[in-house]
Amino acid sequence: MWARFEPLLDSVERPARYLDSEWGVRVRPDSSYRVALVYPDTYELGMANQALAILYDILNRVEGVAAERCFVPWKDMALAMRREGVPLHTLETLVPLRECAFVGITLPHELTYTNVLETLDLAGIPVRSADRGEGDPLVIAGGPCAFNPEPVAAFLDAVLVGEGEEAVLELVEADRAVLVRGGSRAERLRALAGVPGVYVPSLYEPVRVEGAGTEVPGCGSVAPLEPSVPAIVAKRALRDLGSARPPTCPVVPYMDVVHDRAVVEVLRGCTRGCRFCQAGMVYRPVRERSADDVVRDVMATLRCTGHDEVSLVSLSTTDHSQIEEVLRRLARGLEGRAVSVSLPSLRADAFGVEMARLVSGGGKKAGLTFAPEAGTQRLRDVVNKNITEDDLLATIEHAFGAGWRRVKLYFMLGLPTETDEDIRGIGRLVNKVMEVARDNTPKDQRGGLRIGVSVSTFVPKPHTPFQWEPQLTLDEVLRRQEILRESMPRRGVDLSWHDPEVSFLEGALARGGRAVADVIEHAWRNGCVFDAWTEEFSLARWMAAFEAAGIDPVALASSARDPQAALPWDHIASGVSKRYLLEERGRALEGVTTKDCSFDGCTGCDACDDLGLDISLGGASRG
Amino acid sequence: MAERTTFRLRVRFGKLGRLRHLSHLEVMRALERSIRRADMPYAVTQGFSPHMKAAFGPALPVGTAGTHEYYDLWLRELVPAPEALARLVAATPEGLAPGAARYVPEKAPSLSAALTIARYDVGVSPAVGLDELVRAVEDVLAEAELTVQAKGKTKVFDLASVLPEEPRVESSEAGSTVAITTRMGATGSLRPEALIGRALESAGLPQAITTVTRTDLLMETEGGFRRPLE
Repeated sequence: MWARFEPLLDSVERPARYLDSEWGVRVRPDSSYRVALVYPDTYELGMANQALAILYDILNRVEGVAAERCFVPWKDMALAMRREGVPLHTLETLVPLRECAFVGITLPHELTYTNVLETLDLAGIPVRSADRGEGDPLVIAGGPCAFNPEPVAAFLDAVLVGEGEEAVLELVEADRAVLVRGGSRAERLRALAGVPGVYVPSLYEPVRVEGAGTEVPGCGSVAPLEPSVPAIVAKRALRDLGSARPPTCPVVPYMDVVHDRAVVEVLRGCTRGCRFCQAGMVYRPVRERSADDVVRDVMATLRCTGHDEVSLVSLSTTDHSQIEEVLRRLARGLEGRAVSVSLPSLRADAFGVEMARLVSGGGKKAGLTFAPEAGTQRLRDVVNKNITEDDLLATIEHAFGAGWRRVKLYFMLGLPTETDEDIRGIGRLVNKVMEVARDNTPKDQRGGLRIGVSVSTFVPKPHTPFQWEPQLTLDEVLRRQEILRESMPRRGVDLSWHDPEVSFLEGALARGGRAVADVIEHAWRNGCVFDAWTEEFSLARWMAAFEAAGIDPVALASSARDPQAALPWDHIASGVSKRYLLEERGRALEGVTTKDCSFDGCTGCDACDDLGLDISLGGASRG
Repeated sequence: MAERTTFRLRVRFGKLGRLRHLSHLEVMRALERSIRRADMPYAVTQGFSPHMKAAFGPALPVGTAGTHEYYDLWLRELVPAPEALARLVAATPEGLAPGAARYVPEKAPSLSAALTIARYDVGVSPAVGLDELVRAVEDVLAEAELTVQAKGKTKVFDLASVLPEEPRVESSEAGSTVAITTRMGATGSLRPEALIGRALESAGLPQAITTVTRTDLLMETEGGFRRPLE
């Protein structure tokens, strides 16, 4: 295979995407059960995905199992492979994907859906589950989009909902047991459906509701075809992160990938309770790793990879109850080696700045990033973003007093109940931030003072208190952007937008049902691929696909949904109950906030009870 | 801060097999990582953004292999060269594996300044016969100059000066090989595939170059060439 493949490398961009043989690869040619782990985008994006790195490590420890990586070849390589008849294969042993037992695909966001079809097609695997035969691999997805798998259900044989460390082993074990006795594809699928957290779409059918029920045809809920299959698939979550040993010898890329550094996870979940945030709802409860484990893994990962930077990742790293101790110990342990520690996100308070200062060690000060999300206290209360203007300004004072000269602020446009006054409030807040920043910067340095303002469009996501809310129409986004532009100070502010057309598509796909598969397939057949790449995205092609499938994307994204009606993801349980989401929605509309249950007592989301888990801080569980 | 004593270790390495497709930047980053994995006591530059003190020889393009490439690494502590080599070998991917290591004087000229001569083997597929290739190379050498267009720029090479030795054409297992010695200049270096490509083109032969390997990097001394580790 390499002899057929290597000549293609001379004519493509960035051949380092396709080379394999990096430090840390696992090559297990003699294994009888082969898993392809696919990230549905290019190598440089996929290699930053921690979930795949974890599963790669876990599966390659199993006797007789080999897990190998596969990424989507860029368009130049896809063209060359189709021209030369070279099928998509894994990196490690160049085995064609269609010869693997199991093709695992992570679904990081909706804009990768066409890449899933591209992957399957390049591999010569029928894109629809219904068209696959006995010789084809099982195509199993996981990741954030598994919490509403319906838009891609027709392309998947199974979906793993939630955390994969334990479930992936059960899945492989169940499948191997069927294969050993020569079982059929149908038997393999039934065995998968018996693994907790696994959803097998072909064993469910759309629920037919008389009269009203869903706003969009074909986008209602689904129910099992037979009684042996669970009506509700509950997500998987680890009880104890300390017992899961994360990979400390991951593959080290040659290429300059995104987030090109060592990664150590410090905690999972976040209970700050921002009402727009899907991750904050679906990854509950908070489970911290102990300071000892984090420090041990940082040192081991740096030793094994040779990286010169390590990032302590989680949804909210500075919320770790022992983060200060961790950072102080790392600063001592890494002294004199020109190795740096980074934090992905910061709390907008003095503590957050102090932690950033510990990390910078008096040297280079990269920009600080904070996310007030909304411009007025009223709207921040609606979305439960518990930062006040005073908090933010005090943080800015502290940061600029400590020597920072650049700060980036994230806001969202179109949050529920937003008025034009709330939008102008963003401009006013940025103005105050600028004043405080200037006052705390020596006169001769004020020229270099920059405030980045990054504005995205709010996209309502499944399993959040805002899952019933309408998304702004494109015209309305443009009108509100104009108000924001007018209210924004000009000097020293770099204003950037997330493309509203992309957000619109994301919204239409995020809350779609089974029928949306037709749209995705049509879009892909008409050339949509790499939709997350600005220069590749075409809303016109997508609109044509919606039209052809007879589905109204505006109704999907921008109609208010009836809280009593069935939703396409009703059969997927994140642990947080629909009752709680509705309560939170009610509190949002009244402008009432909800506190963080990790510190201020249970707020009744039901996740701990439903999943049989506890919050655990610093490695100790709190019942 | 006072300069601390450092020890300058010169390492020879390769860029072989599929790793020939790496860029110079990718090779440098991979080798720096191998140095950290080997737990070498590397020196760190002073300044705002401290980093490992290391220096690399002339870049190899994407796609070109190399058998005798070099980097210099400054160490805070003296590690016996054989031990340093063994530790680096154990921590480096096979395609970039070090082959030799020796300390050089702190004041020795930099690799990029000292290495002015490069030898290459250009592989040509059997689509071009040995005799045809010999004639094509002779014809292109008969010209005094070679004009090369690259990245929108035009470069004119004086062949007598950039080719200190006569290229040799030999038959090999997979066709034929042209051995070329070039002198690298401050204003640019002649790529061997540009020379052979032009020879094939002028002779009306197919573009049959299969591989390009840099086989040596040399310093010019009075009366000859010398390897940087000899």
